[in-house]
Amino acid sequence: MLELLGTALVNVAQFKYLLPLFLGTLAGVVGGALPGVTITMTIIVVLPFTFGLDPLQGLAAMTGVYVGGSAGGLVTAVLLGIPGTPSAIATTFDGHPMARKGQPGRAIWLGVWASFFGGLLGGAFLILATGPLAKFALEFGPWEFFSLFVLALSMVAGLVESSLAKGLVAGGLGLVVTILGNDPVMGQKRLTLGMPSLEGGIDFLPVLIGVFAFAQVMTEVERMGGAARLGDAVDRSLSLAVSHLKVIWEILSRPFLLLWCSFIGVLIGVLPAIGGSAASMFAYDQAKKLSKQPQKFGSGSPEGIIASESSNNANVGGSLVTIMAFGIPGDAVTAVMLGALTIHGIQSGPLFIQQNPQLAYGIFAAYLIAHPLMVLILGVAARFMLRIVTVPKAALFPVVLVLCVIGAYALNNTMQNVHILLAFGLLGYAMVKGGFPLAPFILGVILGDQIEINLIRAIMTDADPWLFLTRPISGGLLVLSVASLAFAIWQHRRHKARAAAEADADF
Amino acid sequence: MSRDGIAGLAVLAASLVLYALTLDLKDNPMVPVGPGFYPRIVLGLTALLSLGLVVSDSLGRKNRPKEAPKAKLNYALVATSFGIFALYCVALPGLGFRIATFTYVVAANAVLAPPRGWKGWAGSIALGLATAFLTWLVFERELSVLLPRGAWTGF
Repeated sequence: MLELLGTALVNVAQFKYLLPLFLGTLAGVVGGALPGVTITMTIIVVLPFTFGLDPLQGLAAMTGVYVGGSAGGLVTAVLLGIPGTPSAIATTFDGHPMARKGQPGRAIWLGVWASFFGGLLGGAFLILATGPLAKFALEFGPWEFFSLFVLALSMVAGLVESSLAKGLVAGGLGLVVTILGNDPVMGQKRLTLGMPSLEGGIDFLPVLIGVFAFAQVMTEVERMGGAARLGDAVDRSLSLAVSHLKVIWEILSRPFLLLWCSFIGVLIGVLPAIGGSAASMFAYDQAKKLSKQPQKFGSGSPEGIIASESSNNANVGGSLVTIMAFGIPGDAVTAVMLGALTIHGIQSGPLFIQQNPQLAYGIFAAYLIAHPLMVLILGVAARFMLRIVTVPKAALFPVVLVLCVIGAYALNNTMQNVHILLAFGLLGYAMVKGGFPLAPFILGVILGDQIEINLIRAIMTDADPWLFLTRPISGGLLVLSVASLAFAIWQHRRHKARAAAEADADF
Repeated sequence: MSRDGIAGLAVLAASLVLYALTLDLKDNPMVPVGPGFYPRIVLGLTALLSLGLVVSDSLGRKNRPKEAPKAKLNYALVATSFGIFALYCVALPGLGFRIATFTYVVAANAVLAPPRGWKGWAGSIALGLATAFLTWLVFERELSVLLPRGAWTGF
């Protein structure tokens, strides 16, 4: 393993791979710093640029975006009090107060170095856990895969913050998208609704681009008009100079906090589609509970910044484990990476690491190298970021949508995918406005075909439906699915009861 | 009925219509279950879940707290932006990537931030030209990603 990793590190350090990795990390940092532009949107914009590259170059660029984006959000969170990405929300709580107290450099660099160390701890987990988990997944038959995918979908639907019913309906709608067009087992036409363009089914990437990028742009557009420009809030005389050794010591002198919050990040990353924002909020909450000075949280506590940033970068490692070992995207960003693998004809899943060891270790190496690159970029450009956030959205959004169209069109050089992008962009926007979560929908679209294929394979192997329950791993996974839904129902009821109690207390 | 109830009814109706369509699908003798087997499970489940959403919306109507007033959102701008984007998608194969992209970027930029005076328009046009030219250069020339040629313009 170490030999493969060493070779991959040397390989990725070549200019051919280092350049896309650097550019991806830069794009991630900039996209992460721009409020209203998520990491998902950034990776969707970067996707078409990877079509003409070899698989490792493309995946290195995407890994860079993911790592850079997870850290980039902290710049505006600290300096403006506006998180660049949802995963930097918790950083705002203490980063911005610390900056306002005259220590913007300390706040920024605590975040950057905590992201660096958290990310590397996530990387250690990624490298050590992917192989054994993939080996374990090789023991799976169609029953286990079916149950695993059902578990992923039920967890995502259950863990969304809005209503459970809406989460489940959204997941169901995602599955409905995959039954249109053709049957993935025998290739028979079905439910084409009289549209020849549907006969080949619906690719998930244009759906994902439409749902995430287009809907996101439109939700930003609806708030445009008359708002103050972000640049107006920027004090350009700020000094970000700091003693790096002091900052690093400030982080490393709290080893338990760093390890615990990184562990939380990794764990939440492994669970499908929950994402960095949940990881950083949960880690922040844990750090506050475990702190000797919880009263200082919210007023510029370094522990709050370390907790939030270490967990959201460790989360990236966890998300990559899920996709590389099981073929299940940990979040929307890894879903785009899954699409990029498919474009290059590579099948993700448990056989991925065995069949493509150079590519798999190349991704590990790109992940590790992206961290020092991220520190370097933020070191040189943190002040410059303040100017970048003043880019008018009226100029940015049309360009983003043009890149989305290129991404959809270039998948197979047909306008059909552009029309799908348009249709699902509209659906995604309607879902956002209706309060339906997008994560279960997109996971349904991605996993639908695999759920069907494994269900039919299981029935073709043995028609006994009880095998789904009596095979230990499959049964265990289905029990976990039910338990996750039961937990979600309990959590929603408790939340409702608390809200009602608080409302009564107001009177 | 609130938005949840209406959304639930729409999903329920769509699920039932698609479910009815699966009844016409013929089984394949090669496999024990036909192409309609899995869609029926999915659509049945979706119909049940959406029915649940409608019922919970109807039952929870009395207990629903009054919504706090929301910030005024610019839906007219969303509709116009969407319209321009839809026109771009439709015109792309006819006009070709470069002309359609230039026109789209200028129009979308002008709608999102109406240009003031000739300097504003020059900025919009420069943005349109730069986007169309640079994306074409990077994708077609550098990355060998083919972009749509115009059926009407040949450009």
